[in-house]
Amino acid sequence: MSVALRAVQWNRDKVVYDAILVSCVALYLALFLVIAWRVTPPKNLPDAIDLWIRATGSCAFLMLTVILSIGPLARLDRRFLPLLYNRRHFGVLTFGVVVTHALSMLAWYWTLDALPNLAAELTKWGDYGKFIGFPFKVLGMAALLVLFLLASTSHDFWLMFLTPRVWKFLHMALYVAYGLVVMHVALGIMQTVHSPLIPAMLVGGFGLVAALHLAAGWREHKLDRKMSAAGWLSIGPPSSIPDKGARVVTAPHGERIAVFRDGNQIGAVTNLCAHQNGPLGEGRIIDGCITCPWHGYQYRLADGCAPPPFTEKLVTYRVRVERGMVEVDPTPLPPGTPAAVIAT
Amino acid sequence: MTRSHRVLHRMIWPVLAFIVAFGFALALGWRPPPEPAPAAQVEQPR
Repeated sequence: MSVALRAVQWNRDKVVYDAILVSCVALYLALFLVIAWRVTPPKNLPDAIDLWIRATGSCAFLMLTVILSIGPLARLDRRFLPLLYNRRHFGVLTFGVVVTHALSMLAWYWTLDALPNLAAELTKWGDYGKFIGFPFKVLGMAALLVLFLLASTSHDFWLMFLTPRVWKFLHMALYVAYGLVVMHVALGIMQTVHSPLIPAMLVGGFGLVAALHLAAGWREHKLDRKMSAAGWLSIGPPSSIPDKGARVVTAPHGERIAVFRDGNQIGAVTNLCAHQNGPLGEGRIIDGCITCPWHGYQYRLADGCAPPPFTEKLVTYRVRVERGMVEVDPTPLPPGTPAAVIAT
Repeated sequence: MTRSHRVLHRMIWPVLAFIVAFGFALALGWRPPPEPAPAAQVEQPR
């Protein structure tokens, strides 16, 4: 794979995804402002800006909650896979909402001619030793910094430049950003506004993310417990592998192998897509190619190579059919090595 | 997800979740009580 900058390759699905996303954000902000305006009509400009700060802040929290829920949801139920397709644009839009939130906060201080107060608030070093009274804006700024790092490296250029492995590790920092945002709200507005809605939002969002990750993690754990012994791994009869689908097995070294069947052709490849390490074994064979469920990257079953003009290659594994049982050698072959067999 | 990625994910996630849940519980438990509402003006008898 060459490392070169290519503009975002728009297609109809991405446009529809982004249009729905932007509409939902606009609808949420509009609803929030209309309801809040009626409940507590602002008396002046700073009050109006304060409403906007709350609208963008709660919107960003909900967006982060949804983003972190998409991964485990898609693992638990395939119907959520479409949400995963353009998750990076979701993340970049969230960063945009967070920037708007931060700029509105600056505008609030500016309209009150109180920007020096903000500086004083952030440099009151004694407050950094407190728990209640901690300068919560610093937590928000740290989350903003993490989100900036993730948004600025979200393009495929950085994915290829850093390699999928490093990129995935880097983007796990989203969990840190989420934790910082929860504490930013808990030590900030939750301390002064005693509405039960704020703790409810935090508990609901954080609880949802935690519960979904626990459920998906438990399912993954059960798969890993079935880890096979060294030597050829017995998969079962060919009919135990769904046609144009796969069964995933865990090799003794801990990596997963996806064993696909396309009619009577059986092949084994790594479970990691070369694009973003997506779970290939949860994909299907479409047009004769293994197709990643995340972004549709395709590979030939015979040798794990992407069809021309693409150049990605997967690690493959030797397969044999012995006494009617499919077996896989867990020793990985160099990427692109032909290894599929025909079951007779 | 590679094996090392899974291992790191399984180590970091529960620790982070515990810290945040603990921090949130403290922030909720220790938050100052709401300020009392200003006393309503009592009309003086004429």
